[in-house]
Amino acid sequence: MEAPFDDRLLHQRVVGGDESALGEVYDRLSSLIFGLSLRVTRDRVIAEDITQEVFLIFWERPLAYDPDRGTLRAWLATIAHRRAVDHVRAEERRRVSVLGPRLFEPPPERLEETVLAADEAKRVRQAVTRLPEGLREAIELAYFGGRTYRQVGEELGVPEGTAKSRIRLALRRLADALAEEEV
Amino acid sequence: MEPVERLYLDALMEEAAVPERSLRPQLLAGARARRRPAAPTAAWAEPYAGRVAAMDALLASAVDDDWAREIVEGWTLQELVAHLAAKDGLLAASVGAPVLGPALDALDAMGRTLQVQEYERARSPEQTRRDWRAQADALCRHLGGLTPDTPATLDGVAGAVSDHVLARGLETWIHTDDAASVAGVRLPHPVPAHIRPTADLCARLLPWTMMLSGVDGAGRTLHLILTGPGGGEWTMPLGVHDTAPGTPDVSITTDVIDFCFLLGGRAEPESYPAEITGDHALAADILRTAPALSGP
Repeated sequence: MEAPFDDRLLHQRVVGGDESALGEVYDRLSSLIFGLSLRVTRDRVIAEDITQEVFLIFWERPLAYDPDRGTLRAWLATIAHRRAVDHVRAEERRRVSVLGPRLFEPPPERLEETVLAADEAKRVRQAVTRLPEGLREAIELAYFGGRTYRQVGEELGVPEGTAKSRIRLALRRLADALAEEEV
Repeated sequence: MEPVERLYLDALMEEAAVPERSLRPQLLAGARARRRPAAPTAAWAEPYAGRVAAMDALLASAVDDDWAREIVEGWTLQELVAHLAAKDGLLAASVGAPVLGPALDALDAMGRTLQVQEYERARSPEQTRRDWRAQADALCRHLGGLTPDTPATLDGVAGAVSDHVLARGLETWIHTDDAASVAGVRLPHPVPAHIRPTADLCARLLPWTMMLSGVDGAGRTLHLILTGPGGGEWTMPLGVHDTAPGTPDVSITTDVIDFCFLLGGRAEPESYPAEITGDHALAADILRTAPALSGP
């Protein structure tokens, strides 16, 4: 999935050292990145630190992002997610060590490009199957069938706006379900 | 990214949230400390300042092996950066801006390059990077107080300082692209607002590149169409002393980035992709001689 034109121009400006472009990226995406970080860490202070660091990484090493390989939103989200998960794991290890000797070693650091380990990806897919029928269909078409909102609407026989709100509702349900079982 | 990963991240982002206090001011302050923004300068020098910032971003991720790797002209990355600093310093000297590095002995580009490379060889790559950036930023600051038509001479070529600085921007761009290719990094293009004046300079150089190659374009006219963001259309005489264009003898349509790289000596004129109507022999002369001003 290629990045939209907007991402390319903002990326060009950031590579060229234009600070105001960083401000624009922050204005556009910070609430999503902060929301994600908060979801994973459940700690506002830590989520703020992660959010700030994610945008600083983009500014400092803008060439690490390649618009031909995906959207800026997904790239920033991947970095935020990795940092948030690392934080949660470090906290878990700290708690365990307070309680006594470690019974098993923590898993090795995940690969750069991987967001989810195989078993985690499986749990996300299972959570999709447990969604109500109408929501599940919309998610499957949009994410696994590569359809646009408009195409999802056409296939389900509902207006585009309805398709969009179903997908968003489904995403929210998924996040809640996954939080309950702690992915 | 796998669809299931995209789905998972989108689900996590569905509940957007806002920090209690905006992180924006401290983010921008932190950003400035982590990577210097493009130096403030005159509007006509911004394409150069932008290319300097882009090169610096590439150099930020260079490790020991990268610095010792040969990029072009038999030069390592460190020697290439020293070469850029040398030529930037010569332009600085010509307009009264501070010249950093070793005392100015040589005024020709190759002599000064050898001098700065010798000086930098005794220093770490990171110091070379800082020296080059300090020279570029000092030049930018000084240009902020000049008018674009201020006369300047670099390597024996006299012209307006605005044209010289656009040429410095083009050379910095091309060498950044050289280094990025070796490092396997994809370098994004400059913004269209910076490509446009650079392409305009390249177009205006054509009568000179022809003359330098022994082709007299006097009395002939080119209609040049450069496509893509930052492109445009030029109807221009091909003789260095011609004052106005006539009826076009030939029309050349080509990609604006390809055209800048052709002038920069990074394209094969024989296989160069261009759409030509009119005098094909004249077009072949224009394209064949276009890299004449490119050098190290």
